[in-house]
Order: sequence, then structure tokens, then C-alpha cells
Amino acid sequence: MKERIVIAFVGNPNVGKTALINAISGAQLKVGNWPGVTVEKKEAFFTHRGVEFRLVDLPGIYSLSPYTLEERISQEFLLEERPDAVVNVLDSTNLERNLYLTTQLADLEIPTVVVLNMWDEFQSKGYQLDLKMLERVLGVPCVPTAATKGKGVDEVLDAVLEVVEKSRVPRKVRFKRIIEEELSKIEKRLKEAGCPYPIRWSAVKLLEGDGFFSEKLFSKIKLDVSFVEEAVERIEAHYGDDVETVLAEQRYGYINGLLKEVFKRPIQHKMELTDIIDKVLLNRVLGLPVFFVMVYLMFKVTFDGSAPFIDWMDGFINGFLGKWISYLLYQAHLPGWLRSLVVGGIFQGVGLVLSFIPLMLILYIFMALLEESGYMARAAFLMDRVMHAVGLHGKSFIPLVIGFGCNVPAILATRTLENERDRKLTALLVPFMSCGARLPIYALFTGIFFVRHRAEVVFLMYLLGMLVSLIVGLVLRRTVFSGEAPPFIMELPPYRLPTLKMIWNSAWFRTKAFIRKAGTIITLAMVILWLFLNIPFGAPVEKSLLGRFSRGISFVFVPAGFGHDWRTVAALIPGTAAKEIVVGALGQLYGGASSSYSSEEINPGSFREDLKEQVVSFFGAFKEAFRNIFMSWKSSVFSGEEEELGEVAKSIAHSFTPLQAFCYMVFCLLWMPCISTLGIIYQEFGWSMVGMSLAITTIVPWVVSSLIYNVGRLLGY
Amino acid sequence: MRLSELELGKEAVVVHIGGNGFLKRRLREMGLVKGEKLKVEHIAPLGDPIEVVIKGTRISLRKSEADLVEVEQL
Ligand SMILES: Nc1nc2c(ncn2[C@@H]2O[C@H](COP(=O)(O)OP(=O)(O)OP(=O)(O)O)[C@@H](O)[C@H]2O)c(=O)[nH]1
Ligand SMILES: [Mg+2]
Repeated sequence: MKERIVIAFVGNPNVGKTALINAISGAQLKVGNWPGVTVEKKEAFFTHRGVEFRLVDLPGIYSLSPYTLEERISQEFLLEERPDAVVNVLDSTNLERNLYLTTQLADLEIPTVVVLNMWDEFQSKGYQLDLKMLERVLGVPCVPTAATKGKGVDEVLDAVLEVVEKSRVPRKVRFKRIIEEELSKIEKRLKEAGCPYPIRWSAVKLLEGDGFFSEKLFSKIKLDVSFVEEAVERIEAHYGDDVETVLAEQRYGYINGLLKEVFKRPIQHKMELTDIIDKVLLNRVLGLPVFFVMVYLMFKVTFDGSAPFIDWMDGFINGFLGKWISYLLYQAHLPGWLRSLVVGGIFQGVGLVLSFIPLMLILYIFMALLEESGYMARAAFLMDRVMHAVGLHGKSFIPLVIGFGCNVPAILATRTLENERDRKLTALLVPFMSCGARLPIYALFTGIFFVRHRAEVVFLMYLLGMLVSLIVGLVLRRTVFSGEAPPFIMELPPYRLPTLKMIWNSAWFRTKAFIRKAGTIITLAMVILWLFLNIPFGAPVEKSLLGRFSRGISFVFVPAGFGHDWRTVAALIPGTAAKEIVVGALGQLYGGASSSYSSEEINPGSFREDLKEQVVSFFGAFKEAFRNIFMSWKSSVFSGEEEELGEVAKSIAHSFTPLQAFCYMVFCLLWMPCISTLGIIYQEFGWSMVGMSLAITTIVPWVVSSLIYNVGRLLGY
Repeated sequence: MRLSELELGKEAVVVHIGGNGFLKRRLREMGLVKGEKLKVEHIAPLGDPIEVVIKGTRISLRKSEADLVEVEQL
């Protein structure tokens, strides 16, 4: 027995391949209820009965043809790396279509285990299956599983060990005689030419005219293909249809015959929950209003629910931790510049960013709900007409929505689009989607300038981002990316009720990433920012390196509404590393005076009282959040009583008019993607797209902010 | 008749799938094959795309794509 076994997980999109890998290995790969969650090859490792397994999660595919990126990735892996075993995951509630891929996989002659996932749903539908008979016909073990419930997982591994040991490969489909005769001729030639790939597979692929595969094949062996062309002609003349269709129909014929033997569905079929929900959510009249109300409520709850916690975090970090740390530093007689760096530099900035953890957590909980429930594909369905009008694709809507969480996975998610041009176009629009990292900026400014309409103003930001992306999309489509719109054929998964654990895992996973970012890149940016603000040391900030530079260029931003104060410009510069840094930087820039703690007399005896106060106010925050969400439909009626603003906020309040603040938010929304997003654009598309993205995201925000600023001024704001 | 002309809630059987390589192939992989029964389950608020149910799977496609599928109403 081998020490290390490589297993490829292959199957249709959204059948639970990733969920199964997670269940086996305890990994936390991304799962979601729409087709196309996994878009790149992912791996997990696991040891079972002393054997080390390398589990390879391949993107979901409907067949092994080479027309989409996912299909090519899968074909390439299976052919070139020849895993020791394939776990072919099927959605057991939809066997007919899922088995189509199984018949193609058989030609690869790799030991295979067929997994019948979603067995819980299968049973609740009252379906019946003769497993023994299915195994006999397919020639390999068939294991029922419910991946999300952890059922059948060990059996899968045992079956894998068995098929690898006994080299059990699946039985291949026999086509009608005419085709088999042609195939055996091709197989003979291939064998003579020393074909390095499975013979049957290669013969079928040549006959089907799979360009991707034949190119690869002919780079390795020399073969005159005219005899294949003749075979194709003979078959097409006989059936009056193209070879691919003929082969596919015969595969389906074989599957139908098989299912007639082994599969029974109940005569009475009940109305499914999904159908009932869709009666409302996909309703011709209600569908769109419900969609917008849901998105609005999502942001409202995110904001109003998190506001008290943010206030508490802010008080805790700046009022409590900050106070005591500066006290300690003072006691330790550290030099002035070091205290200034720690308190004024790192603490002000990172603290402000960290105080938004509650906001991120709630947002990510909603994102997880959206992704797990099955609504994502529906949103694409509802919006396709709108997207189509600007030459985009309903499916482009999915990456865009994911972009509300974070732009980086959104760029990756464009891989579900079949067409390269659409992918690029969508990737250029993703940065206009307001990601979670931008929320702290809105939270800061709306908390100061739009206290009574926070949720509305933020919602407006999201809408504006989408509107701008549609307009930019339209322009690009008419110029750089012209051409036919690709087809919109997509599966709508059934609604699934996610478990609390799934939601929590997903949300916490992302929040952790946010915290990690605050501890690393943001802290670093804060230190660098502090340096540039304090060189030469002792000079007033306006005279510092960054101050001079920002003052030099701030005139550019006067038309856009915020060039009057160089500090706003200075905050944007480190903001290119990560959007939250803008907030941290503003904290440093506007909070300069409030490192006053260091000289203040602090009574060390009050520590315990301070701590107690923090705990009490933490519980108070729960009450307030509850009240905000459930008792007030008008935003923040209760917190509207002009709360006491912190140092930074007060200083910001003096420096902006509401209109200017609004323009600044708009600019931050549309401006340059963060470094990570640019990185992923580079990885996926190369430098030219990075350049293009940068160009668009510098010009567009300036134009839009200027427009809003000047129109706003004409209107008298 | 064409699938695009089939009214909401009506059932039909697939007779023929036209169109070019990719489209035809994709429809086939999703289970739209000759002789299969389907039903128009939803039409999007703005009139396009439509959702058809075939073998218990819900598939959405645009009217322009449904144009390529020849069906016979039941
Ligand atoms: N009821 C039920 N749901 C499941 C089961 N396995 C997975 N799911 C759910 O099905 C959806 C799809 O799961 P994924 O693991 O993302 O599917 P995938 O095959 O990796 O999908 P792609 O990456 O898009 O190809 C998720 O919402 C899962 O929670 C199962 O056995 N039973
Ligand atoms: Mg997956």
C-alpha cells in the first residue's frame, strides 16, 4: 500500500465536494449554496488508518469538455497528475444529470469511488435506490453521505483505500455498434502511435473534436488525423446530427436505462419548500422590491445593531486601554518620541480600526446567510435583465455581491463566468463594490455628520457604487470590451437552511482575517505613517514630510470637495494598502492633540473602577443594539440625542461640511482598490489589467465626487 | 413551438436543440435532451430570463437561448 494517496474530488457544481472535504479533513475551505463556489484547485491533508491523504478539491464541472476555465483545470489535473483515486461526488437528488460526468470519468481509468451526497435530502424526498445494483453496473463502490452532517465520511475513505488497493476502475459506457467500430479503429492507431493518455479516453476525445485535448496529445505524439475526420463524417451522415450530440444522447440513454433499474421516486410528490419560497422571492411583482428591501434591511441591521458595540469598543480601546497604556509608558519613563509613536501612532490608528470589529462581524454573518441560503443564484436571476442591458451577465452579479464582503474573493469568483472578456470586465467593476473594509470610513463620517440617517446614507453609498459600476460597465462594453453577450444558463439550487455553526464559522473566519490584518499590515502602515508625519521630529505636522507632500497635491482635490484640508489627502495615501487604514490615518492626523493622556495626571487607584465601568457598558451595548434593531424603524431615533463625540470626531466635525464629508466618502468608495485586490487582479489577469484598473479607479472617483460636490453646492448644501 | 413561447406554468417535451457548439452543449449538460419533460416555473420580473424545471432541477436561461429549444406542449 502506498504511504500517500492523492484523491481528486470531481463532480457537478454545488453537489457538496468542498463540504465533503471539510467533513473529512476538518479543513475550512469555502462552501456556499450556488454553483461555482470553488473556482481554483484547493487542497487539504488528512491521515486515516496510517495513510496520508492529499485531498484535491477541483472546481465543479458539468462535463469534461474544455470550454470553461474550470473544465480545463479539472481535465488538466486528471490527465497530467493522474491522482491515485477519484472521488466522484454526486447530488443524489439529481442522479441523471450527475451521472453524465461519471460516464465521462470512467474513460480515464482511474480507481473511483462514487459518493451519493445530499443523502439526507434524498431520503426526505422519499426516493429509493438499489445501491447494490448500482455498484454492480458502475463497477465501483457507491457510498451515500450527508457531508454537512458528517454522515458516511469514514466509509468514503475506506472505499478509497479499497479501490486503490484493488485498482477498481469504473465500467465504461458502450456506445452503439457503429460508433464502437469507429472508436476501436481510432484506439488501434493511438496504441500504435504510443499515446501516453488512456486510450479509450483519447479516442473519444478525438472523435468529439476536443481541441484542448488534441493539441496536448499532438504535442506528444505524431498522428495523421484525417482518418478521424472521416470517421466523424461517417457518423454524422448516419445520425444526421453532430458527433458530440450523438455521443451525449447515447450516454444519457445508458443512464436512463440504468436508473430505470435502480431508482424509484414516489408517485405522490409533495410541494417543495423551495417552490413555496420562490413563489414570493421570484414573483414577477414582488421579486425586485423584496430584493431591495432585504439588502436595505441587511445594512440597517448591520449598522444600527453594531453602533452601540462600536461605541463601546472605541471607549474600551481609547478611553480605557489607551489611558492605562500611556500611564504605564509614562511611569516607565520612556522617551517622548516613543510614547508618541505607541500612543499617537499605533494606538490611535489601529485602535480606531479595531473598534469596528462588531460591524464586520455582523456584515459577515449576513454575507454567510446570503451565500449559504441559495439566494445568491436568485439574485443573479432577478438582475440578469438589468445586467444584460449594460452588456453584462446575470452571473456577474454574484462576484459583485461577494464584493460587498471583500473584493479579493470577488475577483476570484469571476472565474465562474464562461467568457474571458466578461471576466475581465466584471473584475474591473468589482472595486466599485463597497467592501467591508470601507464600512469603517462610512461609520466614522456618518456618525459625525449624518447621525439621524446613518443606514440611509450608507445604503446610498452601496447603491452609488453599483450605479457607477453599471455606467462604467456600459462605457467599457461599448469601447474596450465590445462583442456578443454570452449565454446565461445557470442552475438554481434549492434553498438550504444553514446551521448556526456554518454561519458562525464563515463569519468568524473572515473577522479573524480582519483582525489579523489590523495586527500586521495596518500596524505597519501606522508606524510608517507616523514616521512620515514626524520627520523632521518636533516639527508641526503640516511641516512634516507627508504634510508637505499632501499640501502640495491637495489642490487637485479641491473640486472634489475635500482638497481644502491636506489631512484628508494624506489619509488616502496609506489607504492604498488597505481601506481601513484611511480611518486609522484620520485617527492619527486628527487626533494629534489627544495623546494628552501622557502628561495627564492619572490616579492609579481608579483602575478597577474603570474596568468595572467597561463591563457594565458592554452589557448596556447589548440592550441598546436590541433596541436599535427591533424598536426603531426610523434610524437611530434613540441615539439621535447628539452624542458626545470623541476627540478625533470633534476635530473632524470642525474640518468638513456635511457635503464635503459625503464627497469624501464617495471618493473613498470608488478610489483605488487595496493592495490585496490589485495583487489578485495581477494574479488572475496580469499587469495590463492592473494598469487599467488603476486608471479607472483614479479617474472615476474624482469625476463622481466633483460632480456631486458641485451639484450639491449649486443646490445650496 | 419554441421554449421561449411556452407560457408560465405550462409543460412541454423537448424535441430538438438548435444553436451552436457551446450553447447546445451546455443545455445538454444541464439535462435538456430530446424527449425530456420540462415546465416553465418562473419568469423574471423584467420578463427575462425564465426558469424551467427539468427532472427536478431548476435551470434559468434567457429567452434568446430558449429560442433555440424546440418543444412540443403537453
Ligand atoms: N442538506 C445537505 N446539504 C449539503 C450537503 N453537502 C453539502 N451541502 C450544502 O450544499 C451546498 C454546496 O456545497 P459545496 O461544498 O460548496 O459544493 P461544491 O460541490 O464544492 O460546489 P462548487 O464549489 O460550487 O463546485 C452548501 O450550501 C452546503 O452546505 C449534504 O450532504 N446535505
Ligand atoms: Mg466547492
